[in-house]
Amino acid sequence: MDLDPSDLIVGLLMAAFGITGLILASGAMDNEMYVFGLSLFGFAGLFEFGLIRRHFDRLDAVGAESRRHG
Amino acid sequence: MADLALAPELVVPIARPAPDYNEAVVKKFIIAAVFWAIVAFLVGVYLATELAWPQFNLGLSYVNFGRLRPVHTSAGIFAFGGSMLFGTSFYVVQRTCRTRLFGGEALANFVFWGYQFFIVMAALSYVMGYSKSQEYAEPQWHIDLWLTIVWVAYAVIFIGTLMKREEPHIYVANWFYLAFILTVAVLHIGNNLVVPISVFSSQGYSMASGVQNAMIQWWYGHNAVGFFLTAGFLGMMYYFIPKAANRPIYSYRLSVVHFWSLVFLYIWAGPHHLHWTALPDWTQTLGMAFSIMLWMPSWGGMINGLMTLSGAWDKLRTDPGLRFSVTAVGFYGMATFEGPVMSIRDVNALSHYTDWGIGHVHSGVLGWVAFISFGALYYLVPVLWKRGGLYSARLASWHYWIATLGIVFYITSMWVAGIMQGLMWRAYDAFGFLQYSFAESVVAVHPYYVIRLMGGLMFLIGALIMVYNLYQTVHNKSTEPRLVLPAGLAVAGG
Repeated sequence: MDLDPSDLIVGLLMAAFGITGLILASGAMDNEMYVFGLSLFGFAGLFEFGLIRRHFDRLDAVGAESRRHG
Repeated sequence: MADLALAPELVVPIARPAPDYNEAVVKKFIIAAVFWAIVAFLVGVYLATELAWPQFNLGLSYVNFGRLRPVHTSAGIFAFGGSMLFGTSFYVVQRTCRTRLFGGEALANFVFWGYQFFIVMAALSYVMGYSKSQEYAEPQWHIDLWLTIVWVAYAVIFIGTLMKREEPHIYVANWFYLAFILTVAVLHIGNNLVVPISVFSSQGYSMASGVQNAMIQWWYGHNAVGFFLTAGFLGMMYYFIPKAANRPIYSYRLSVVHFWSLVFLYIWAGPHHLHWTALPDWTQTLGMAFSIMLWMPSWGGMINGLMTLSGAWDKLRTDPGLRFSVTAVGFYGMATFEGPVMSIRDVNALSHYTDWGIGHVHSGVLGWVAFISFGALYYLVPVLWKRGGLYSARLASWHYWIATLGIVFYITSMWVAGIMQGLMWRAYDAFGFLQYSFAESVVAVHPYYVIRLMGGLMFLIGALIMVYNLYQTVHNKSTEPRLVLPAGLAVAGG
């Protein structure tokens, strides 16, 4: 599977940010840190979903193109 | 053979196909900028209403002036202004370097969404009552850290694109954008050095305290104006005015002198925000002297921007976007004349802490920053969405006049209110007592606060007209590009 290195690096970083968000929320000493931690986790999850979706959209587009040209 | 190769009349430029630019991220930033512009103006109008009639605080802590004020400034400067700077810098660097953005689509998307996440988190923290209480640097340490990560990614993309450029020359607009990116990074880190009380707490202690903290804060604060709101938008000016006017810059040499003198002088001017304080006198004088010297590069840049229209002034009648850009340069000249005047210590004794400062700031941000952005938006939207032109030049013209009149209402009312406040606060009676109480000065400025509200409302209405115009530009059938057939074919077909 042809994986864009940019997708891989950013994807790994976002996974790390998401986990950091969960850890921050779990030990939060105030509302602000709790909201920030959970939001960071949610943001990272959505971003990962977007990366995966775009990756498979690209694969589908390449497949459709090759089928069109026989 | 060698002679033939050197003969200039025989050298034919090779037409190269345009690279596949990353326009998706530019479009996202443009949409975000328009959205945040409306948010910033709307919150500004609401705050102006609260100042005129405090009942509009509604007794709710979430919408009181103290919490909403940083929402307004951050939405205006960082959300609207920042999104415009990110979007246009990505557009300009790709075209002037003739190469696609460095770092791939995922990194560009991270910068876009990461920056929007920063804005939302910062705004949310303000309305929840969390703030470092330092102007334009209100977010707590963890949000600052997040912005630093996003900013480093932004710098990697921009500098990486410059390094892999296909053109030998780095166009001057990129120098201004680069100064903005690098200096804001240094300012942001320098001013936000905090020791958190715990990694699980949003609270922390600033590394500096007392007058040192104040000095670092205004070194940051003034250069946020100098490098975020000036250098970055000058990059916009140096690209979009020549493009819209279809003319080269009046003097490329002057633009380079403008760049180096501006970046050298601006960084020293911060102490003028701390006149008549515990800051040593020599530091105040230094800030004042450098502020006055800033007249030269500022006006050099203004003249360069205006003179670029030499031979193309007629376009101001037909191109409302260009009219916005040129008026913005005029406001840039006015605001950068007024600023050094206000930095003179004796003038500052009258103007500081009054609404004159608010008027000055808004002549800069509404007249310069917002207008140069509107000019870029009216140019960019038809280009990015591949439309034949704007939906309505007439609506853009309405936007121009309503917004201009709104600024005039805003800044004149604040000048009058500010000078009156300054004079009332320093007035003594025959016995040496203060002639007016503070409350009397508050009552005296009420009519001007209402006029300011009207000005802000007009600016908001103008922006809403722009949103409608840009939406129709993208979606209306009348703006679809038309294929121009050669005359012979047209006749044959007709």
